[in-house]
Amino acid sequence: MQRVLMKGNEAIAEGAIRAGCRGFFGYPITPSSEIAEYMARKMPTIGGVFVQAESELAAINMVYGGAATGARVMTASSGPGISLKQEGISFLAEGELPCLIVDICRGGPGLGGIQPSQADYFQATRGGGHGDYYIIVLAPSSAQEMMDLTMLGFELADKHRTPVMLMAEGTLGNLIEPVLVRDEVTEFVDKPWAITGCLGRQPNIVNTLHMPVEQLQTRNQHLTEKYQAIRSQEIRSEEFLTEDADLILVAYGIMARIAKKAVMNARSLGIKTGLIRPITLWPYPYGVVNKIAQTCKAMVSIEISTTGQMIEDIKLATAGKVPIHYIGEIARTPNPEEITQQLLVIAAKEGLI
Amino acid sequence: MARGIVTFSSDRCKACGLCILFCPKQIMGFDKTSINILGYHPVGLIKPEDCNGCGICAMMCPDLVIEVGRE
Ligand code: SF4
Ligand code: SF4
Repeated sequence: MQRVLMKGNEAIAEGAIRAGCRGFFGYPITPSSEIAEYMARKMPTIGGVFVQAESELAAINMVYGGAATGARVMTASSGPGISLKQEGISFLAEGELPCLIVDICRGGPGLGGIQPSQADYFQATRGGGHGDYYIIVLAPSSAQEMMDLTMLGFELADKHRTPVMLMAEGTLGNLIEPVLVRDEVTEFVDKPWAITGCLGRQPNIVNTLHMPVEQLQTRNQHLTEKYQAIRSQEIRSEEFLTEDADLILVAYGIMARIAKKAVMNARSLGIKTGLIRPITLWPYPYGVVNKIAQTCKAMVSIEISTTGQMIEDIKLATAGKVPIHYIGEIARTPNPEEITQQLLVIAAKEGLI
Repeated sequence: MARGIVTFSSDRCKACGLCILFCPKQIMGFDKTSINILGYHPVGLIKPEDCNGCGICAMMCPDLVIEVGRE
């Protein structure tokens, strides 16, 4: 495997191509634009399709069309653009169309700014659009994982017939790191449901309108069972020095890497600290967080967000077992030393030093 | 000729290999006999006596793992 320096956004694009993605439909927005740029350069040379749509709404509906044919297709955007795409994502979920949606997050609400953010957590993990649905949300924390989780995303999308979102901060999208370039995917699952021309068979129909009461109930029941299957099969997380820890940090994406350094700093100062890094934000690793809550004394959610969003999932997971603290701000990423300082304050409050 | 003394905060090394690539003396390599707290084989010097103390490895390292002193 070749090892090359790549920007996080480029690693996503190259990973997608290696996973067999041959359709990219997008509308540029900072800090995600390098994905579109890379695809615009590459797709025409490999028999793929790149379309710069007239809007985000157009782009997500092109994804709907492309996915309905059984092709591996994707789009990429950032906060405000993802908001515009939510209607389409709801349709993709109900149509059970596998695809990848990349959100390289920037600060909001509104147009916000182009600085890094994790404040799209709610819209990513709570469905985001209308109706009863979830999509799988993957949170990479390095350029390598930008590639690896993109490839995994396409696999999970096909396996469960669901849209998958890859959510990363603008920092990660623009960070350049060495990446082991993975081999091309050569085996794909069959898609007998796809709209491929019905010569010699019954037509396939992808439709999201179900007027009769029973039809809508059956559809929603089916989706609910699928989400349950995803919950039982696809939860991914990483634990770092959690076994003996009194103070547990929970962080994802780029924040988890910074938190890891803070864990090491805090340990050198005598505070037994550990880290849980959710890799799937939905389904959330409730089980892991709950298990560790039984042995630690306090938890801290660290997010690039002022209000705190993932902290709600930690509260759900721990059900009041331990006190939960919050460290977070928007538009700038704290360094490990700053986090260590705040951990000292929290540790003192909790009587851990 | 100047001689360098290189020290590593090995637990911070993420084995990206940038220092190895840029060392003009080509004397750095991964220590396959140890695994650091992050789960990587950290970098070490294969021929410390050949180090000229140029400091390029320390400048390359994104994670501030390396310190170079000169004799
Ligand atoms: S100081 Fe220069 S010669 Fe010595 S290990 Fe670093 S890069 Fe190589
Ligand atoms: S550049 Fe730094 S992090 Fe990368 S391998 Fe060398 S010492 Fe390790």
